[in-house]
Amino acid sequence: MKDEDVFTYLIGGKAGEGVKKAGTAATRFFLDLGRESFQMNDYQSLIRGGHNFSVVSTSTREVYSHHMEVDLIVNLDERSRDLHEEHLAKEGIMFYNSNDSGERDQGLGLPLDEMAEEYSKPDLIKGVAGIAVLAACTGMDKKGLEDMIKKEYSRGVEENLSFAKEVYKKVGENIDETFDLKKGKTHSTVITGNESLSLGAAAGGLDIYIGYPMTPASSILHFFATHRDDLNIMSIHPENEIAVANMAVGATVPGARVMVGSSGGGLALMEEAISLAGMTESPILFVLGSRPGPSTGVPTYTEQGDLHFALNQGHGEFPLIVSSPGCIEEAFHLSNMMLDLVWKYQTPGILLTEKHLCESSMSVDIDMKKFEEGVFKTEKADEDQDDYKRYEKTDHGISPLKYPPSDDLIKWNSYEHDEMGYTTEDPDMISEMHDKRREKNETLILDLKNINCVNEFGESTPIIFTYGSTTMSVREALISGDIDAKIVQPLFLNPFPFWELEEYIHEEVIVVEQSSTGQFASLLREKCRVKPKEVIRRYDGRPFEPARLAEKIEEAII
Amino acid sequence: MKMDEELSVESDVENTWCPGCGNFGILNAVKKAVERLESEGFHRSHLLISAGIGCHGKIFDYLNLSGLYSLHGRETATIQGMKFANPSLKVIAFGGDGNAYGEGLAHLIFAARRNSDITLIVHNNGNYALTTGQKSPTSIKGFKGPSTPDGSVEEPIDPLDVLLSSGAGFISRGYPGKMAHLTELIVEAVKHQGFSLVDVLQPCVTFNDTYEKYNELVEVLEEPAETRKEAVELLEKEESIPIGILYKEKMPVFNEKIYPEKNPMEDRMDEKERFEAVKKILEERR
Ligand SMILES: Cc1ncc(C[n+]2csc(CCOP(=O)(O)OP(=O)(O)O)c2C)c(N)n1
Ligand code: SF4
Repeated sequence: MKDEDVFTYLIGGKAGEGVKKAGTAATRFFLDLGRESFQMNDYQSLIRGGHNFSVVSTSTREVYSHHMEVDLIVNLDERSRDLHEEHLAKEGIMFYNSNDSGERDQGLGLPLDEMAEEYSKPDLIKGVAGIAVLAACTGMDKKGLEDMIKKEYSRGVEENLSFAKEVYKKVGENIDETFDLKKGKTHSTVITGNESLSLGAAAGGLDIYIGYPMTPASSILHFFATHRDDLNIMSIHPENEIAVANMAVGATVPGARVMVGSSGGGLALMEEAISLAGMTESPILFVLGSRPGPSTGVPTYTEQGDLHFALNQGHGEFPLIVSSPGCIEEAFHLSNMMLDLVWKYQTPGILLTEKHLCESSMSVDIDMKKFEEGVFKTEKADEDQDDYKRYEKTDHGISPLKYPPSDDLIKWNSYEHDEMGYTTEDPDMISEMHDKRREKNETLILDLKNINCVNEFGESTPIIFTYGSTTMSVREALISGDIDAKIVQPLFLNPFPFWELEEYIHEEVIVVEQSSTGQFASLLREKCRVKPKEVIRRYDGRPFEPARLAEKIEEAII
Repeated sequence: MKMDEELSVESDVENTWCPGCGNFGILNAVKKAVERLESEGFHRSHLLISAGIGCHGKIFDYLNLSGLYSLHGRETATIQGMKFANPSLKVIAFGGDGNAYGEGLAHLIFAARRNSDITLIVHNNGNYALTTGQKSPTSIKGFKGPSTPDGSVEEPIDPLDVLLSSGAGFISRGYPGKMAHLTELIVEAVKHQGFSLVDVLQPCVTFNDTYEKYNELVEVLEEPAETRKEAVELLEKEESIPIGILYKEKMPVFNEKIYPEKNPMEDRMDEKERFEAVKKILEERR
């Protein structure tokens, strides 16, 4: 059923027609009205042609997902029209390009090709129509439209303005009623998940980002490259992911806080260096942005099929921290905290997320005050201590750090080593060093027990377990479907926070995840002995739609 | 532990190289080179090393210098990471021919292309010694080892040629049989601003004893070639093996090109500046 509090806008067309840009401009328009919004971009792995769409849901309450019952649809080509007809809500309006779709019964035709012909970039300018339609259909005046075009389409603004006004006028002549979008009270910002986790790391003192392009992590690399001078963060794009991860290991020796990112295929190439980081005790934050696998899979879509892959990274035994943010704002907090955690424990960490979070955007309200006093502190060696040992044994397993240039000998080693860092094959030393690394893990668990490692939303039954970006889908499904349930979302997946989940042992629960084999459900069975009575899975590359998911949850409850 | 006066202390770590191995000469040349650099005002506290995995890699344990003992073939990536993070440090990576010219060759080509300010010393012994003498990328065709009992069927690569055409600004070759010369090469390579390679003809007495051949064939070059083309011609000589600096050219280094006038470790923002910078970007998203 359609959620009446939510207004949804969708624009679709070919790659190269400015579809995503129009979606982003629409999001900003809703933001200016003080409303919250969620934007999901569906695009294919190609540069020209194909079918792309951007869908934005907005409300005066928080919105955690796009909806697919759409109030206003703008189709820039015939394919889009045919595909999205079924998404039109009962009272919705649909526009289509009458030049390539021909006149149709349903919807209102606009001769977009003809109109765009007059301009220097007829393909690209079509996206501007999406915003002109939105303005006309929401009762925005001409001045408002002008301001918006100037702000969002400043490049070639004269042409954009002229085209937008033409479309605006035509639409105005064809509709009798406009949508009344109530003003909201929020004053938030809109960022993508990748921007959020990048900014969180930047706030946490990131010095260097290293990445090799792979969707959906590429935009992290682009973000840091664009903001190099604003943020004082060096970004590097080397020859391959093997170089990425090994350079990261090297960069930690002089003390640089480094983050790297990729998708599953790239992380597979980094895996040897994750194990290296475990042995050398190099603090590195790896971002794993999942997409449907195996192998090249479906590059620009979403899936949670890499959970076990993330949890089992690296040969040998060493502490590995894995966590996954449940919404775009949480990505900021978590990457910030993960950077501190990997440094305190001098071990690799993985921030596991999915395309749906990486590349969707959502209104957030980030309070920087929260980050002033980090909870987890890096242990530094005393400056005038004269018997420094890189791998000194301590009662909590953590050896204080010292950075070159220094008169102390600081040796990090990929071979098993003694406290000084010299290679060893001595049986006692081998066991002692294993103990040291295991003790770090034990200390880590004690530390995690002092913070919140599991999010819970709602109070009643049934209990729904989920994690990562799927959390957003479940939250939205419950709100818009008006379902009473309690969501349990572990933020940390390794170490697994069983201590916060004791009350659910042997409980019957519903699990929602985007994996075909139910990896999260099996993790829950193993780690906290819950009984998943129903595992709601989606694995077609698309994120859940709130209305459909609400139906599935209701079926599972009965 | 403070860095000792001695650059290597036998009592700390047992040396397990075969008696007569060319690696001893390299170790000595490196120590002498560091001492020479120190006599000119440099200090070893500002030197970091890395090494690959193999017989050559053991030099990491034998040198009282800071750094990170890396993976098979990754020493060139690791050392670049150190340099990117703190460009005021000098860095040297040690590789074997299997590591540097096989498993990790791509890193060398790209380090040369981007002109990372690193020095790479390759203990080129024409075989994978630590894994019991299999053929390596520089083994001669017909090389017999446990994985090629009938002789290797592959043509050897000439890494100097590969790196010359990748744009490397410092290409040199040395021989432990000419100790003073090798020392000089290492000093020059470390001083060179940009990517520098010292390929060392390293006899492996156990699996590929080349002393006799090299003693006969090596010929000290008076001067580097003027152009890359001429340098390649030097490599093509059949009657002798030239050692020395084959080619040298000063070019802008990577750190300066990608992050001008900044040292990530020395030019950090404080927390307040960082938060302001983040807030400013968030503001732009309103
Ligand atoms: C990923 C990986 N593959 C294989 C090995 C095994 N390995 C150790 S040393 C070595 C060869 C070393 O040859 P080279 O670089 O020529 O060094 P040398 O021992 O001759 O000094 C190999 C294959 C390894 N350590 N890591
Ligand atoms: S096997 Fe060869 S390279 Fe290794 S220590 Fe012995 S002589 Fe040297």
